[in-house]
Amino acid sequence: MMGVVTYAIWLALIALSLAAAALSLDPQLGGPHRRWWWQGLALASAAVLALSPHVVTFSQQELLVFLTINTLVVVSYRLLALTGEFSLGHVVMMGFGAYASALLSKQLAIPVPLSIILAAGLTGLVAFVLAFPLFRMKGFYFLIGSFAAGETIRLLWKAFIGPKGISRIPGVPDIEIGAWEINFWEPVASYYLILVIAAVSIWILWRIEHSHVGLTFHAVHWRDQLAGAVGVNTWRTRTQALVLASFFAGLAGALLAHYITTVNPNRFAVHEMVFVLIWVIVGGTATIWGPIIGLVTLTAINEVLLRDIGYDELRPLFYGVLLVLAMLFLPNGLETLPARLVRHFRRAKLLASQR
Amino acid sequence: MTFGSVDRRRFIGTSALAGAAAATTVHPGRLRAEETVRIGFLAPLTGGVAAWGLPGLYGCEIWAEQKNAAGGVEIGGTSYNVEIVSYDNEYLPDKARTGAQKLISEDGVSFIEMLGGDTMPAVTPIANRAEMLVSTLLPSDLSPDTPFLVAPAEVHPIYNLTGVWWMAENMPEAKTAVICAQDDALGRPSVATYLAAFEAHGIEVKDTIFFDISTTDFAPVMTAMLAHKPDILCLDTAYAEFVNELCKQAFVQNYGGQIISCTADFYADIIANTSEEFMEGVIFQFPDFDDPALNSEDINFNDPNGFFEVYNERHPGQWGAVSWEYASILDLWLDGAQKAGSIEPAAVLGGMKQGGKGAHAFGEANWWGEELFGIDNALVGNWPVVQIQNGKAVIVEFKSIPEWWGEHSATMIKHFEAMGEMWYQRA
Amino acid sequence: MDIAVFLQTCLNATYASSYLALVAVGLVLIFGVMRVVNFAHGELYMAGAYCLFWVFYQNELPFFAGVAVAVLVVAAVGLFLERTMFRPMKDNPLGGLICSIGALLVLQAGAVSLFGVRKKSFAGPYNEAVTLFGVDALTISGQRLVVIAFAVILLGALWAFLRKSRFGWALRAVAQDPEAAALQGISISRISMLAMVLGAALAGAAGALTATIVPTGPYMGHPVIIGAFIVIIVGGLGSLEGAIIASVLYAFTHTFVTTLFDGTIADITGLVLMLIVLVVRPHGLLGKPERA
Repeated sequence: MMGVVTYAIWLALIALSLAAAALSLDPQLGGPHRRWWWQGLALASAAVLALSPHVVTFSQQELLVFLTINTLVVVSYRLLALTGEFSLGHVVMMGFGAYASALLSKQLAIPVPLSIILAAGLTGLVAFVLAFPLFRMKGFYFLIGSFAAGETIRLLWKAFIGPKGISRIPGVPDIEIGAWEINFWEPVASYYLILVIAAVSIWILWRIEHSHVGLTFHAVHWRDQLAGAVGVNTWRTRTQALVLASFFAGLAGALLAHYITTVNPNRFAVHEMVFVLIWVIVGGTATIWGPIIGLVTLTAINEVLLRDIGYDELRPLFYGVLLVLAMLFLPNGLETLPARLVRHFRRAKLLASQR
Repeated sequence: MTFGSVDRRRFIGTSALAGAAAATTVHPGRLRAEETVRIGFLAPLTGGVAAWGLPGLYGCEIWAEQKNAAGGVEIGGTSYNVEIVSYDNEYLPDKARTGAQKLISEDGVSFIEMLGGDTMPAVTPIANRAEMLVSTLLPSDLSPDTPFLVAPAEVHPIYNLTGVWWMAENMPEAKTAVICAQDDALGRPSVATYLAAFEAHGIEVKDTIFFDISTTDFAPVMTAMLAHKPDILCLDTAYAEFVNELCKQAFVQNYGGQIISCTADFYADIIANTSEEFMEGVIFQFPDFDDPALNSEDINFNDPNGFFEVYNERHPGQWGAVSWEYASILDLWLDGAQKAGSIEPAAVLGGMKQGGKGAHAFGEANWWGEELFGIDNALVGNWPVVQIQNGKAVIVEFKSIPEWWGEHSATMIKHFEAMGEMWYQRA
Repeated sequence: MDIAVFLQTCLNATYASSYLALVAVGLVLIFGVMRVVNFAHGELYMAGAYCLFWVFYQNELPFFAGVAVAVLVVAAVGLFLERTMFRPMKDNPLGGLICSIGALLVLQAGAVSLFGVRKKSFAGPYNEAVTLFGVDALTISGQRLVVIAFAVILLGALWAFLRKSRFGWALRAVAQDPEAAALQGISISRISMLAMVLGAALAGAAGALTATIVPTGPYMGHPVIIGAFIVIIVGGLGSLEGAIIASVLYAFTHTFVTTLFDGTIADITGLVLMLIVLVVRPHGLLGKPERA
């Protein structure tokens, strides 16, 4: 019974993000009732997200916490991708936030909520410094250059803080309101906390994308030289995107560190970065929902479905095959699935009516 | 093994890999155990660290299969079938935390075996809250914060002192050493142990060279080591393939002195890569399980020779220290559970530690560790010194770690402190 | 560092540059023609190593039979990847990248299920130490000499092929400007296939030649691909000569720093040097700016 509910929750999360992507991609969808559709979707999402930790098992609650943290990672990654540059250093930026917040709270005894915000800010600052060398490069050179920069930082942690990283990091402090006590060690409490933070962050990122700044991101992506010619400072635009993306990655890392109470260099290795890249590209980058679809779907497959089938050691095999199939059949990402289906049904209907 | 007792998660695996073997063990009318006790296996099964988990899972499956074929295990008057439930933690702390939650709250396991290391700090708070007994292969995971964590199989790297001790007694002419070590949580504490042991036995260490675990070419490492012209090459605790490569390089670069290492898995391959004369006399710490010395009375590992044979038949080329270590922890767990007469984790821990002694694979041992780890949850006693003689690993002597500790504890603590490996120094 | 250690280190570095160059040149070829970042290239190298293990160690056939099988099998794998994934993804470089990651996961899992998770360490037939020019310090295993010799031969042959043959000319034309090449009547599809087969075959050869020198394991491709990516970037994308020069530079730096300090510092040095090169020359040593 529990299993059915679990799958229902995951399917609902996938369906909701697909619906959001469909609405974003097709401005005609819903016609005059479009606003209602959005409102209905928002309500349904809120209900599913609020309910889900209470109906799934304990270990699935943990998965939901990590899913929410990763949502912040993929959505912020997309911000940089908007400018046309794909980085392989994003997970190291996440790690930077994790290490910074761990050290600030543990060594300097700075209160955890403050250390999280400071760590995110420091991550943005480091990104700003890195932008100087990195944005001399473009395309594949940037991809590998960002990897080198990230890997250097990661190896420095290993050399100077140690291969085991930091453990016994203080958690987010409990909150007591009268008799009501919230303990953030509990996955449900942390889930709600991180969900609120992620929701606010996504809202901010969405606003940025649709602001004047966001439009220049798109411009820099599609018409690099033209944008430069009409007075857009491409370097500054890309730096803005990198700093913002890194700020939110650092935030995600800090939240992770205080939740699992440990960080180590291996957790932020290129292997983990590859998974972020997979989530984002398999989901699609045209809408803010694309990376979320990729993340939720692939997490459900890798952490729920494939583990349930058993035979843990072959999970990478199935996962690899699914990645290839996803790219072959939906090269622009899972986010295009609803539109593809709609087109398919319309054509089938048309054919049927002609007969 | 009957169909009903095959663990659902493992069914595909066991049936595919060992179909024939399983079929022969099905005996209609055999005694069926009344209850099932589940044991969690939370280690990396995929990814770069899988070699430290997967071969151990194979060993545990053989252990459980053998016990179940014999009608299960008897604990407190009830007979239990043993079921191993695995969860691949990919050596990541967040997945280990999720896995621990699942094993404890959904699978209802009574004990969790882990590799430890990077994944342990995320699991410790969960285990403490659930009062779940957890074992690790890496005693550096132990601290006063881990009352439910035991390191009962190998107290790495402390036993490495036995090899140096034996070498000092039997090869007094070797006076200088160079150490190389992989730069990680496995290599560093091991260096501290070797430094202490060399100092205690009057051997001068000329240099210690660390290499990253992504190293593939060991020629430069060996060149740097041999530049000191040492009597002894100490390979520290390194992954099996590193030991192999280092030996090959030492051979090619004309080294002629003594070699000491923590492990020498697949030493037959190393001999093929070098020569029998070159490898003659190499000292390490892990015996073959067909060694006749393991059939002695005080060895607690059940039928080591038979286990070795089944394992190699089923998983050729996968034997190594972890193959038996996880399984030997199951023996200790069973002993503790039988002493306690219960499978309740806290009670089993009490049973395991009864009288401060435990049934270690290599004989009765003491619960120890307060001075190095801040808690007496490591099981140390005798450990074998193994030497390659005529192309075969032979146990030359069992040496008592507690005896050495009584004399040289201060030296060891000094080096652990210098390496930053004492429990209170860990970040 | 005395002179003996210096000479030995030079020899070690020469070996390291040779197999790195084999892998990197294949990667450059694939990228140059198909614009695909082949993350699975390290796994093609790994597949080559396992082919040798299978033929030479398990079936006890001659060493060079193993190398030949590795070249053929890995070239076939390359061809399969090109047909099934990279060609459909030809206008979608990120899609190609994700597909190559999928292929990487499948190849690794395949190696685990066929050969187990533990690494294999086995001896080649030319294992005895060879002393060069009668200088004691210049001692190297015969097996490493074989790798160096093969790298020189294979890369020389590739160079001659690209310079002298019609196919080679076409291949370079496509790498420089696919549209112009297509207008000249060059079949991009056939050239892509050729580039992939050649690149994969080189990776397979490198894997087979080094299988008895480095531990052969399912995840052995990872450090190699990272080294190769660094090298092709420093050399400049699309430049075979750049890749070879960068292989030598990188291998010598890495080997000397490893000998003098340690491996972690060598990794950091390699990465920082690469960043410095890219800051000074954002298109690598011999690369040309990519058109937007």
